[in-house]
Amino acid sequence: MTQTIIWTIAILTILGAALAIVLYVVAEKFKVEEDPRIDDVEKELPGANCGGCGQAGCRAFAQFCVESEDMDKCFCPVGGNDVMQKVAAVLGREVAAKEPMVAVVRCNGSCENRPRTNEYGGYQSCRVKAALYSGDTGCSFGCLGCGDCVAACQFGAISMDPATGLPVVDEEKCTACGACVKACPKAIIELRNKGRRNMRVFVSCVNKDKGAVARKACKAACIGCGKCAKVCAFDAITVENNIAYIDFAKCKLCKKCVAECPTGAIHAVNFPVIKPKPAAPAEGAAPRPAASTEGAARPVISTEGAAVVEKSVKKEE
Amino acid sequence: MDKLLVSPSPHLHTKTSTKSLMRDVVIALLPAVVVSVLFYGWSELLVLGVSVASCVLLEYLITKYLLKGACTIGDWSAVITGVLLALNLPATTPWWVVFIGAVVAIGVAKMTFGGLGQNLFNPAIVGRVFLLISFPTYMTDWTKPQGFICNALADGYTGATPLGIAKEGGVAAVEGLDYMDMLFFNIGGSAGELSAIALLLGFAYLLIRRVIRPYITLSILATVAVFSGIFWAINPAEYTDPLFNLLTGGLLLGSIFMATDYVTSPMSNWGGVIFGVGIGLITMLIRYFGAYPEGVSFAILIMNSVVPLINKWCHTKKYGR
Amino acid sequence: MMKTFSIGGIHPSDSKISKDCKIEVLPVPSKVFISVAQHLGAPATPIVKAGDQVKVGQVIAEPAGFISAYVHSSVSGTVKSVGPRKDLAGNNMTHIEIDVEGDEWIEGVDLTDTLVTAIPEDNKAILDKIKMCGVVGLGGATFPAHVKLCPPPGKKADCLILNGAECEPYLTSDYRIMLERSKEIVVGAAIMKQVLGGCPAVIGIEENKPEAIKAMTAAVAELQSTAKGYEGISVMTLKKKYPQGGEKQLIDAVMGRQVKSMGLPIDVGAVVQNVATSLAVYEAVQKNIPLITNVMTITGDCLPMEKQHNYKFRIGMPLSYIAEVAGGVPAEAAKIISGGPMMGKAIANMDATTVKGSSSLLYLTAEQTVRGVESACIRCGKCAEACPMGLEPFLLQKYARNSMMDELEENAIQDCIECGCCLYSCPANIPLLDIIRLAKGDVIKIIRGRGQR
Repeated sequence: MTQTIIWTIAILTILGAALAIVLYVVAEKFKVEEDPRIDDVEKELPGANCGGCGQAGCRAFAQFCVESEDMDKCFCPVGGNDVMQKVAAVLGREVAAKEPMVAVVRCNGSCENRPRTNEYGGYQSCRVKAALYSGDTGCSFGCLGCGDCVAACQFGAISMDPATGLPVVDEEKCTACGACVKACPKAIIELRNKGRRNMRVFVSCVNKDKGAVARKACKAACIGCGKCAKVCAFDAITVENNIAYIDFAKCKLCKKCVAECPTGAIHAVNFPVIKPKPAAPAEGAAPRPAASTEGAARPVISTEGAAVVEKSVKKEE
Repeated sequence: MDKLLVSPSPHLHTKTSTKSLMRDVVIALLPAVVVSVLFYGWSELLVLGVSVASCVLLEYLITKYLLKGACTIGDWSAVITGVLLALNLPATTPWWVVFIGAVVAIGVAKMTFGGLGQNLFNPAIVGRVFLLISFPTYMTDWTKPQGFICNALADGYTGATPLGIAKEGGVAAVEGLDYMDMLFFNIGGSAGELSAIALLLGFAYLLIRRVIRPYITLSILATVAVFSGIFWAINPAEYTDPLFNLLTGGLLLGSIFMATDYVTSPMSNWGGVIFGVGIGLITMLIRYFGAYPEGVSFAILIMNSVVPLINKWCHTKKYGR
Repeated sequence: MMKTFSIGGIHPSDSKISKDCKIEVLPVPSKVFISVAQHLGAPATPIVKAGDQVKVGQVIAEPAGFISAYVHSSVSGTVKSVGPRKDLAGNNMTHIEIDVEGDEWIEGVDLTDTLVTAIPEDNKAILDKIKMCGVVGLGGATFPAHVKLCPPPGKKADCLILNGAECEPYLTSDYRIMLERSKEIVVGAAIMKQVLGGCPAVIGIEENKPEAIKAMTAAVAELQSTAKGYEGISVMTLKKKYPQGGEKQLIDAVMGRQVKSMGLPIDVGAVVQNVATSLAVYEAVQKNIPLITNVMTITGDCLPMEKQHNYKFRIGMPLSYIAEVAGGVPAEAAKIISGGPMMGKAIANMDATTVKGSSSLLYLTAEQTVRGVESACIRCGKCAEACPMGLEPFLLQKYARNSMMDELEENAIQDCIECGCCLYSCPANIPLLDIIRLAKGDVIKIIRGRGQR
């Protein structure tokens, strides 16, 4: 009996030791030499493996950072400047802060603004739909509403608004990784700077049709009239191919264009809502049609408020 | 229609649906069900009823309360599992044993893998094998209950299946067994093994309706025939003959209705042949050399486990390659 | 034993409701919009401008590249505008708008019905005429015909196959021209086979069109006995199976050869042309008539018999106009298709106009065409059984949903001919082809990119 126990223990011990030696030898022999800094950098990264940096994943990005000479080429959009500072610290380099970005959906084509002209009955995928035809509305540029961007977002930052049929970006969750930008076959989603106190002004339309055609398809389309470009004091707005575009690097958030736009295609978001005095409606608000009330589904847009702020900005200047 | 419908081609679609395919399998099982009820009477009806009802109910409860997804009982697949499980049990099985079998079949073998289309093993067979191992006394109790119509099972064989007798007493013990009896309504054993002709009728229906392709079934039967033929030719005193092996022990039930289960069988024709040959070989190895008199269930389960591998090897013949 | 292709295939009901409707000529509307993209390849470049006077048959757009084709005016009148207009998928494409005045044809066109059987000897002149008359393949792909008729150096045609299979359900336009213009088709075939170096020509027709087989056989026999240059033309009866008319399937059925993956039919010595293309070749070469007309079927189960038509139309006619002339869009129609129900395009915009390859206005009811709800794959293998290319759609869709490009290429997704057999036969309503078509495009892009590097 005792002997059996002793034998068992002995054999197991010898077996364990022998295998340990084999494991050690194999591990040594097939060891991959890697820069230890890659591990250090990877520890600092968010670990989302989203590919927003342009690399295959966080480890690939860490390797890229270690190997690349120029830190400016490396940026982790998810971690942002904080993480990049830490990475730079690990590598003993300097890195300039980059402006934080956010995904912006540039389409006004809610069910109300953009009536459906046919019904789509195929696989619910924007790419499949886009490859088939122009979409189930008169606008061949706008959102197809099948939610490829929602599926592409790893951070749960995009959801479809059932009321408008358009995707909505949750700014808190959005990391500007750019997955949705790549997923959208209509190139509607753009990465724009977050702006001062998250305030942004952008043209929420990408329709390149002529004004009349665009307007017929969607009440809130950009008709390329150019009024916004004329009113802009900073040359931030260009009109090309019947579509206006606001350069966020030049935009000073004066919001003159917002009031000027005849279709309400220009959106101003996250501006403080200043309650207008009921007796004194701002003059800038008058020509704007009710179409942009649809904007209420977006973060915060207040037509009246915008006009008031716009006036005060004008005075300051 | 005020708005035109637009979708990618093709714009037509076959009338065949998952539901209609499954319903066809149930229809194909009807002859065997009718025969078993006629010969085994109320107790068989009870087994069938409990089995089908509990399979459907369990699937309903699991999809609704555990998975919280779409309810899938409308596709008839749970009914098939229920019927197959019942046909795989002796008519004397107590209702609670049947229920446990259903829990294992639907709950463990099917829904834990994600429901229809995801399970690796045939649910009915998993249920049956579980019962066979857990309740061997009930599962090998072949006493014959009173049927609705008179039958003429030879007196000497009522207590056991022909395969069981052969296992115990050797070939001599089953000599004199009438193959015509087996072909028609007189095989002792599980409810579904009763009549070869009823099962073949179902097979014909499935082929005519193009529900299944014949490769799996035929390769199982051919393998069994060839394998037993060789052994029988060498030593007829030791080994049972091919026809005996084809007609007994649920081989037909297994090869027609269970090995051909879409989900757990290979997709390509050649894969099906490999799968069938494997089942035939394992069945015969168990029958001749194993501890159990019968091996179809085990053979199917074992081959189920290699289906992903077969699918990886066997692809369809591609045009121009 | 009748021949057919060796792999897969399905048997949808053929529904040739309008097969006994004679070809009628559509009246010319007051205005036409002629698209510059009526063929596979680069859209043609317009050479007219607003205010120009044009005659019927006059060139109004020139090819913009090797794979491209001439576009001719189908009416006489004044060019009103040249600009973007939505095609049947709702996408913008340059259209030439012409106000119709009279019906004055260009010089040198033979508009009589006399059959011209003598085939010109100069092959180069024939090819030139085919090119100048803007003839494109009318079997669906609208590939420029003259390109297909000039095999690349080192390749030789062993057989010209005329596709009279018309395997798509409902369509009857090819059937009607085979009955009504059988001799012209045979002349066209003789011209093409001469250009290809005198190889034999086989006219493949499915068994469900016995009258067409009879008419074509009679036409071949008559021409062979009365004129020169018609030897080696024969009619072959094929089994009814979809997609018999697929180029690769037809080559397999007729010649017993299979085109290699990513290869061309000429690699195995085959040239396939549709019977309608053959008719267009006849008109171009023997009559100097450019390709501005074609035959289309107006059909659907929800149309009464008197509203079923086979129309000879001119290019540029608005579809809504044709529907109106034919008796209006039936109220039950949920989907209108241009082309067959298996590979045709659903029309999103009825204001779009006819093009050279238009073959039908097919009205399908909601009950016929609305897809069922997708459910789990039960691995029945029906899609793989149906695939005429021997692919495994269930596998491809799984890889495609996970963007596994290497696996997709290994499993030959690039060979998919988009015939729709897989989606047709799936009992679980899985949108197999929708997903596979997209991934196929991605994989082909990767393969091409690799080739260029």
